[in-house]
Amino acid sequence: MQRISTTVRLNRSTLQFEEAAYQRLEGYLAEAVRTLEGNPDQAEILADLEQAVADQCASRLRPDQGVVTLVELQPALDEIGSVQVPGAAAEAQHASREGARPLQQVSEGALISGVCQGFARYFRIDVTLLRAIAVLLLFVSGGGMILVYLVLMLLLPYAPRQPGGPRVRWLPAKLRELVESLRTRLSAATS
Amino acid sequence: MTDESKLAPLRKGLLEFLVLKIVGARSVYVADVLRRLAGTEFATQEGTLYPLLSKLRREDLVLYEWQESDSGPPRKYYRLTAAGKAQLAALDEYWNRINRTVSDIGH
Repeated sequence: MQRISTTVRLNRSTLQFEEAAYQRLEGYLAEAVRTLEGNPDQAEILADLEQAVADQCASRLRPDQGVVTLVELQPALDEIGSVQVPGAAAEAQHASREGARPLQQVSEGALISGVCQGFARYFRIDVTLLRAIAVLLLFVSGGGMILVYLVLMLLLPYAPRQPGGPRVRWLPAKLRELVESLRTRLSAATS
Repeated sequence: MTDESKLAPLRKGLLEFLVLKIVGARSVYVADVLRRLAGTEFATQEGTLYPLLSKLRREDLVLYEWQESDSGPPRKYYRLTAAGKAQLAALDEYWNRINRTVSDIGH
């Protein structure tokens, strides 16, 4: 037994698709849905696209042909092209820059070594709120938080100092010196 | 030939302006817009045009009504709103200004 075709409703049109063509169409529309994630016009654009696919396929069918195959679907999809959201190139670049934002310690404005500053910048939340959470965790963890802080301090890279940026307090500056010299010695010892 | 990566953003930025121009000249179907742009530097596919038209409609610059067609289901027939006409006039004016600036600078 073999499934010959699938009936597909594309917006206002109904067409029969051969299995391979159906899967290709499903893939195309799934990608469109992903691209339009969060777009306020998603439903409308998808309806327009479905209609475009249906029209393009229907116009490519021979008069005696009832089922759409890849022979009709592929050129149809090529002509319609993948979904491009207006202004998306710039936004995507922006997003990837933001996405690549590293988790680092930030010395500027730090109280101890800059771990909280770093997490606050990473999660885009207020550093005071983050410090409050850290202090809360300090009590809840029965002091285990101190160890966590020390490990993070030793592991997390330091964000590059901003020339002319805000002043760095004495303790964060000293700790940064200390940690960086420890790291240098460690990498010298292991290499 | 100039590096394509330097030209693509220029075209991308102007596409919306051109679509407004096309819709502003007379009411159109999507197929008319595609046909007008085909063969130009701005040749565009439906996958690009539908999201752009939806955005323009959401911004209240264009609107559409359904028109019955001889073949197949009804089609969207687009035209500019008053805000769309104002936007097009402003873009046209701005385009002429920066065009003059570009040709004047460096002479």
